[in-house]
Amino acid sequence: MNAEQVLFWLFSVCTLVAASGVIFARNPVASAMSLVATFFFLSGIYVLLWAHTIAALQVLVYAGAIMVLFLFVIMLLSLTDSGPVLHFTPSRIAGGVAVIALFVSLTAVFRKLPTAELTWVGDAAKLKNFGTIQHLGEVMYTQWLFPFEAVSLLLLVAILGAVVVAKPRI
Amino acid sequence: MIIPHFTLNDFLPVMPVGVLMAAAIVLMLSEVFLTSTTRTYQAIIAALASIVAGGIAVNNAFEPARLVLQGYAVLDPFSSWTTAMVCLGTFLAVLLSAGFLKHRNAERGEFYALMLFAAAGMSLLSLSAEFITLFINLEVLSVATYALTAFLRRGPRPSEAGFKYFILGAFAAALLLYGAALIYGATGATKLVEVSAALPAAFAKSPALVYAGLGLVLAGFAFKVAAVPFHMWTPDVYEGAPTPVTALMSAGVKAAAFVAMVRTFLFLVKGIDPVIPFTVFSLLALLTMVGGNLLALPQRNVKRMLAYSSIAHAGYMLLGVAALFAPKLVEAGAKVGVLTATPLTGTAQDVSVAVYKGLLFYILGYTVTSLGAFGTISALERREDETRGNTWDLERFAGLAQRKPGWAAAMALFMLSLGGVPPTVGFLGKLFLFSAAVDAGLLGLAIVGVLSSVIGVYFYLRVVVYMFMRPAPIDAPAPFRHWTTELALVTSAVLVVGLGILPGTITEWFSRVGMVFGH
Repeated sequence: MNAEQVLFWLFSVCTLVAASGVIFARNPVASAMSLVATFFFLSGIYVLLWAHTIAALQVLVYAGAIMVLFLFVIMLLSLTDSGPVLHFTPSRIAGGVAVIALFVSLTAVFRKLPTAELTWVGDAAKLKNFGTIQHLGEVMYTQWLFPFEAVSLLLLVAILGAVVVAKPRI
Repeated sequence: MIIPHFTLNDFLPVMPVGVLMAAAIVLMLSEVFLTSTTRTYQAIIAALASIVAGGIAVNNAFEPARLVLQGYAVLDPFSSWTTAMVCLGTFLAVLLSAGFLKHRNAERGEFYALMLFAAAGMSLLSLSAEFITLFINLEVLSVATYALTAFLRRGPRPSEAGFKYFILGAFAAALLLYGAALIYGATGATKLVEVSAALPAAFAKSPALVYAGLGLVLAGFAFKVAAVPFHMWTPDVYEGAPTPVTALMSAGVKAAAFVAMVRTFLFLVKGIDPVIPFTVFSLLALLTMVGGNLLALPQRNVKRMLAYSSIAHAGYMLLGVAALFAPKLVEAGAKVGVLTATPLTGTAQDVSVAVYKGLLFYILGYTVTSLGAFGTISALERREDETRGNTWDLERFAGLAQRKPGWAAAMALFMLSLGGVPPTVGFLGKLFLFSAAVDAGLLGLAIVGVLSSVIGVYFYLRVVVYMFMRPAPIDAPAPFRHWTTELALVTSAVLVVGLGILPGTITEWFSRVGMVFGH
């Protein structure tokens, strides 16, 4: 087992443990903090995938900005403990069955994937650049120009929509 | 680094979108800088923008089909005609909104801006040729319609509708994205042309992955076109949304999602046993046609009835899609069944031209009819009843013919067109689609389609019976008057009859070869 594999297992196990914490923690603030931990460990996995920029953005945007919003919402709602949440209703049982079915089918799909080890096929110069901001910027503004512009339209529409929906009453 | 080289040619297909977006931004800013009390000018700006955009789209429709913008978009008559029809629908919906919002004292530039953004999203969706672009454009269109659904929040229904639409729409979009990710995993490409080239090999290597991806993409689209069994959200959302928005959703959103679905699946069925897509689409068409009509049958609420009827109409369009994927070579003497393709002549002819013509003409017919029907309802709604929820009861239409004969005649015309009675455009649309299906050998499905549309005639005619043969209740509402609403309804009515009698050159334009890029 080389260092990369050790790191992979470390990050992935910690991601799963922290993600479980998000669901199982009774205290909403503890739940939100587990989410921060999940984002951090996930960004470690991104680094292992050579996606340094994505990893940095993950920490900045998700663990930073978005989590602050989460905490604000929790603070504003001032949630109180409303008793045990784990009781079984037909819809919850159906939901559980659906989750298990999805998990089983996804496992079946992933078991069919080729098992041969993935090897890097690009040249060394590309490898050096891959995942850097320069590389990302070049790809985004040359190869992916049209989707990039479409996203700016989407953001404008989303802002306008949010303003309209947030108005008290029209 | 390769610097992309664009020519003016590349921007032809997105020019209508550019016009719509520019007008939307002007409208958005008009709300900030102009504080006029009358805001009908906003509707006029929006209507003019949709006319200009539609004109450019019609002009584009005669360009040869090709890939543009680095392969992210296509310029083909199929998408251009769809854009033109979306612009027609937006034009009518904007005019309907002007009177509707004025009556409710709720005219805002944002409303028209969102409508134009939604139209831009629909146009972009119909010309997307790559999965990420497709997803983003689907979201542009969806986010705009979520906000429009919750625009007027009076009473509990609009908020419920907006929230339900948002949650389920986001869920459907996530399914589509997940499917696209799995297909990317299998083929290593997101551009539809490259995906279709890589699919046969990917299918041979890991069929389960491809099947899972295709299934998820199909489920995402089926949500958007409201095909049974993915239709649950439709009646609640259509009922809760402001009626002109419902009209735009039933016509434009559905048309754009249909066109995107057809385009995507024409590329995605490469290397797969042709029986599978055919069976899946036939089953969806069967369930949607029968389910939509049966669910509409007991509705006394006319707006809800029209929501279910829009599901049924999606079923007829799915019948056309199933005909497109019908296996081309079938053994003579195979059994005639509901789902089996058995051409009357032994070998099926290529029906794709007839199907594209049928689909486009159906979309055109449904756009004008549905805008007209929802428009008449919107004029009859009373503001003070919004919170009570009986605004759209059949009783409200009783005796309309004595009080307002013109309105009753227009509504009757739209109902007949929805039911598929000649000489309306609804009849011709059904005729084109069903005859294409029969030519492809889908005799059983076409018979089911005709029978289920006969069920439909019952609940459409019930509205006509109430209007012409029941006495008016004492507190019967009078339609509000606004010249834009009347202009929209007259335009719809003229188009419903005009296209029904003289389809003329339009059917010739719709049936040119080279309609869809790559096919």
